[in-house]
Amino acid sequence: MSEASRSDYDRGVNTFSPEGRFYQVEYALEAIKLGSTAIGIQTSEGAVLAAEKRVTSSLLVPSSIEKIVKIDDHVGCAVAGLTPDSRIIIEHARGQAQSHKFTYDEPILVRSVSQSVCDLALQFGESVGESKPKMSRPFGVALLIAGMDEDEKPSLYHCEPTGTLVKTRLKAIGGGQEGAQSKLEADFEKDYNENPTLEQAKHLALKVLKEVMEDKITKTNIELSFVTMGEIRGKKAPLFQYENEEALGQLIERIEREKREQDALEFGESGDRMEEDH
Amino acid sequence: MVPTEHHGDQWEPYVDNGGSTLAIAGEDFVVIGSDTRSSDGYNINTRYDPKAFKFTNNTVLATTGYRADCKSMAKSVQAQITKYAHDHGKEMSVEAMAQMLSIMMYQKRFFSYYVFPIVAGIDKEGKGAVYSYDPVGNMERVGFRAFGSSSALLQPFIDDQLGFKNRADIKPEERELHLPDLQQAKNIITDVFNGAAERDIYTGDGLQLFTITKEGGIELEELPLKRD
Repeated sequence: MSEASRSDYDRGVNTFSPEGRFYQVEYALEAIKLGSTAIGIQTSEGAVLAAEKRVTSSLLVPSSIEKIVKIDDHVGCAVAGLTPDSRIIIEHARGQAQSHKFTYDEPILVRSVSQSVCDLALQFGESVGESKPKMSRPFGVALLIAGMDEDEKPSLYHCEPTGTLVKTRLKAIGGGQEGAQSKLEADFEKDYNENPTLEQAKHLALKVLKEVMEDKITKTNIELSFVTMGEIRGKKAPLFQYENEEALGQLIERIEREKREQDALEFGESGDRMEEDH
Repeated sequence: MVPTEHHGDQWEPYVDNGGSTLAIAGEDFVVIGSDTRSSDGYNINTRYDPKAFKFTNNTVLATTGYRADCKSMAKSVQAQITKYAHDHGKEMSVEAMAQMLSIMMYQKRFFSYYVFPIVAGIDKEGKGAVYSYDPVGNMERVGFRAFGSSSALLQPFIDDQLGFKNRADIKPEERELHLPDLQQAKNIITDVFNGAAERDIYTGDGLQLFTITKEGGIELEELPLKRD
């Protein structure tokens, strides 16, 4: 029964199953897990976004893959899943941000721009009369939106194809989301007492990203960005920016060094134990 | 001012209902006065039709011109402010409201509201703010502004008293020292409105005096003006 109803009800985007489920949206959540991993961390100083780029061929130009994009001066977003779907979402979010700036002469709240993205997530289905939906199916992407408002408080939001908007301090989305999430939460508490600095958050994000990535982490197959107080046209203001290449190289180097030291330590310990066993 | 409801057979969509507004921005306060008379030519429509309205706990909009347009525009502004509060979970700042009004007015560029609005409030830095507009939405942040049927009487006076224009006795660098405090600003407004009511037949009956401070919010005093 369950299998039969599943195949009957999983085709339409306008029909609930008798159990009250909405299969196409659930499948959209599965599509996200096929993509690369992205991580977001919010600290009191700012917010960090890190994302993996799957460079599938040596002929592929890594910089042509965009997993983290700017929405406005003070907001950026990382995507996981069917990245082309995110184009529509980001176009919409950028439009909302500019329209708010135009109408109110102030940057849009991170919460408001995130909410506008989630409103869009539900605009799928068949066309009814004159009204045409943007999409015929749910989006296949999840987003992590990081930004900082005029009150200098940073925030991180998670948006899903279900249209749910959640404010969070730590989130991993995409292929390695389960593994990354538990590692993030463990380290966040253990190493940083739930209150890392911005630099520590960058380190944590890359460390966890490295662990869930299949390829070896390099400067070119990841993206790292952050939002914190910066300068716009000579005025102090929240600023979204990408980590520069040099700093990124140093961060990766440090993570690899720490991993080698850790491995050496563990090898030493297990070596001691082995001797005792003999 | 000429009564303009009919020019022969030509329908005229606009009427000037007279009345005056005056706002003064201080370091940490704003005062905004407006009379309550509404006229049509030599007739008085009503002696009590307030021109200024409180919009948030921090902003007042006062408008002269055509009363129907003033009220219609004020209603649209109020609706947008309420929607903004729901959408963004915060009260609109005076800067945001000023910019929004400019855009709302320009959107009616080719059938404009016949209005001369002044927005007064305390800005994000805690300073007094006055924004003035022309009927198509051109906006300017100013220190003080008079609009309406007595503007030609009031503006030159405050240009002298508050702007120190063409004053040999006060050096440009000393202007800051001579700016009025809250009580002085209120006194200027009550005095000049009494003067305007004396000479201008379209200004009178009652004075509404709004005082906006960061701590005290918005206070309204109503004072009598000449009724003839």
